[in-house]
Amino acid sequence: MKARAILLVEDNPDDEMLTLRALKKNNIVNEITVAHDGAEALELIFSKASSGEPLPGLVLLDLKLPKVEGLEVMRRIRADERTSIIPVVILTGSKLDEDILAGYRGGANAYVRKPVNFAEFAEAVKTLGLFWLILNEPVPEFMPQPD
Amino acid sequence: MAQLRLEDGPGVPESELLPAIVRSSDDAILGSTTGGMVTTWNPAAEKIYGYRAEEMVGQSLTILCPAERIGEIEETLGKIGRGEPVVHRETVWRRKDGSTFPVSVTTSPIHDDDGRLIGVSAIARDVTEQQQARTAAEFRRRSEGLERVNQSLEAFTYSIAHDLRAPLRALGGYSSALMEDCADYLGEVGRGYAERILAASGQMSELIDGLLILSRIARAEMRLEWVDLGAEVARIAADLQAGAPGRRVHFAIERPVQARADRLLVRTVLKNLVENAWKFTSGQDVALIEFGTAPAGDAATCCYVRDDGAGFDPDYAGKLFQPFQRLHAVSDFPGPGIGLASVRQIVDRHRGRAWAEGAVGEGATFYFTLDAEEIA
Repeated sequence: MKARAILLVEDNPDDEMLTLRALKKNNIVNEITVAHDGAEALELIFSKASSGEPLPGLVLLDLKLPKVEGLEVMRRIRADERTSIIPVVILTGSKLDEDILAGYRGGANAYVRKPVNFAEFAEAVKTLGLFWLILNEPVPEFMPQPD
Repeated sequence: MAQLRLEDGPGVPESELLPAIVRSSDDAILGSTTGGMVTTWNPAAEKIYGYRAEEMVGQSLTILCPAERIGEIEETLGKIGRGEPVVHRETVWRRKDGSTFPVSVTTSPIHDDDGRLIGVSAIARDVTEQQQARTAAEFRRRSEGLERVNQSLEAFTYSIAHDLRAPLRALGGYSSALMEDCADYLGEVGRGYAERILAASGQMSELIDGLLILSRIARAEMRLEWVDLGAEVARIAADLQAGAPGRRVHFAIERPVQARADRLLVRTVLKNLVENAWKFTSGQDVALIEFGTAPAGDAATCCYVRDDGAGFDPDYAGKLFQPFQRLHAVSDFPGPGIGLASVRQIVDRHRGRAWAEGAVGEGATFYFTLDAEEIA
């Protein structure tokens, strides 16, 4: 079975490059698409949903985004039954409690702070990759939904 | 004698009308001699001051004043005596029961038909309500201002947390990438430089964390409750000992030490102080860390954490509580240098003080007082 694609939603080119590098370094061979703002991300996801193309296996979502904010992107993904089960991992530079809470309330599957320390960063992405992608488990239909 | 005719009423002679106005006024209207002896006293004055007319007539005006304001009456009478037409004053007067209240007083001279000064009249209005309204408006204005400052601080903090970190991530990330991907070109010297860039970006990240911690303490909502500080210290001590079973540190902890405090915040104070003591005794085979109470003076509670560790140079005691100040090399005693700054900030929020005593090689004692008050 072909590994599912990863959608990275990130507006900062440095964070984008470092994230892509970290994924590659950790032997994640999935196709990675990058959206540079919230609107682009939504368009990408919903055009696939409409055309019946396979949806991303994971969305790595920055919270602070141009045009449409990360939390709003997640809200709209969760609101549509075609896309509501896509795993969403909040990827952000903040470790403010409010952001973490808002992320989980909005239905995030995980929250990873973009660490300055590269080793941590690689570890974080690797853990995500291992969990969602390297095991290559398709998203189960019965996956419980966050409240 | 002139007759004034009211629109709908019977004619009333002026000589009766004026006293009627004075009697029915809501404002205290009183007359006195130029020397300040009361000659007339209307019903409103009786109501406002609590003195009846027969008690006041013949008395000195000064009994209406709190002692420290008697000079004002003398000053007003002096001005009138020198020919000033009207004197306005916002001041505080005293009722018969001793209570004081804010008044607005207008004092004017009374002249006889020949223009000679024969007395003084004063109209006094109780302005308690106006003043309360003014105070409330002022209070509202200030809280709105504070609210705005808080909001912009919030935005500022958010911006620090998010925006300052982005370039820092790039610095750390690319220097790691350099070390890993380009190690061969860089050589040993180049790798060393890249390592230093990485370390510096990590350090800056710690500084940002420290600032965020301090700003969060400053903004945290306080929930006061009774906290047994001794029990908190015992818990912190147990955690430390469990984490380093090889160390021989004796704890002497006074219990219970009950204080009104925000549990989370005061826990941070104790944790910082006890962990400091733990850290600065790490060079000893056997160490003693004490927690206890000291005479509190004006405050509700005074506590101390004492250790027999490395101590500090008392000349720099004042610097201890400033953020990012350290009196020891990072290599000797690591840490971001934010602990004592947060101690001071939390103690401040409990209306207390924090200070330290010690000497190099002779241990240190950190004191703090708590005097938190319920805000209704």
